[in-house]
Amino acid sequence: MHGEENRAEENSISRRGFLGLATWAIGGLIGAGMAIPAVAYIVGPALQSTKSQEWIRLGSSTKVEPGLPALFKARIQRKTGWIVNEEELSVYVRTDDGRDFVAMSNVCTHLGCRVRWIADQQQFFCPCHNGVFDKDGDVLAGPPPRPLDRYEVKVEDGQIFILGG
Amino acid sequence: MVGKLAGWLDERLAWRRVWQAIFLRMVPKVNWWYTLGSATLFVALNQGITGILLTLYYVPTPDHAYDSVQFITTEVPAGWLIRGLHHWGASAMVVLTVLHMLRVILYGAYKYPREVTWLTGVGLLLVVLGFGFTGYLLPWDQKAYWATTVGTRIAGVAPLVGDFILRVMRGGEGLTAVTLARFFGAHVWALPVALFLLLLIHLYLVIRIGISAVPGRKG
Repeated sequence: MHGEENRAEENSISRRGFLGLATWAIGGLIGAGMAIPAVAYIVGPALQSTKSQEWIRLGSSTKVEPGLPALFKARIQRKTGWIVNEEELSVYVRTDDGRDFVAMSNVCTHLGCRVRWIADQQQFFCPCHNGVFDKDGDVLAGPPPRPLDRYEVKVEDGQIFILGG
Repeated sequence: MVGKLAGWLDERLAWRRVWQAIFLRMVPKVNWWYTLGSATLFVALNQGITGILLTLYYVPTPDHAYDSVQFITTEVPAGWLIRGLHHWGASAMVVLTVLHMLRVILYGAYKYPREVTWLTGVGLLLVVLGFGFTGYLLPWDQKAYWATTVGTRIAGVAPLVGDFILRVMRGGEGLTAVTLARFFGAHVWALPVALFLLLLIHLYLVIRIGISAVPGRKG
């Protein structure tokens, strides 16, 4: 009789064992409920894309003479965390026929200095490490690894817009 | 594998004895009121974890405090949850600590040999209230600003030293960036250290002396 009781206890889980297991299970649930949001909270902002693209007005298209890149400056607002900064965007706009426009960033693709247009040589020149680009922004000489970055352009009512942010 | 590793560690750390002393100690037959201390400890743990997480984004200066809190609440994933847990946990801390204290008073559990446990407990209650008071200013909204204006002025009515206490609390005459910075410093450094040390003694004594039984008439 006594032996049978013991055997039954061995097979089924004891009250003490069950409560112990339940404690671990509930603790695990609470831990996971805490850990998963915590990871999302820590990692989240690092993965969020801060680039929101919108059309930025640069100015009148009549300022761009055929064959002569014109430098436009536009102020844009950039949000980092809870701080909104105003930044100035400098863009060279060039046209051959007054209808099709090309917009290029004036930031050198090597290390981020500003390039300027040298009219005599019909080239963009970066003073930092002598990077040279042709009128379309392609690299002619120096260390820049790729052509000048381009923006999508549209002209509406004689105003030039670029897509950026 | 896990068992082997546990055994290997136990041979060097004797962690099984530590585990036994903490979690498998003998307790008298008690009731649910005896869980209030553990509940307080659990919420304190929650406050510690969520508080550390909040400091990842919170900035304690007048020009950033409010905006960074809004950023946490509206833009950081689960930020509303982390802040909510910390916010409601703060109220729960005060409620649970007071209830825990009432149980100890009503059961006479503060008596010999547990006086020091009681005294550290009183210290812990004050620390918890300090947490509540300093934490309330940190969101730097209207409620926070005026609550602290009133709170520090209450301290200011103490006879003789009142004005001095008020100025020390505020770090000057008015409620300024200095006030916010020192409330933050107290909230995330001074008070947590005090809490940790007092809690260490408190729990050590709970384990060493054991808890009191429910008082009753002995026949």
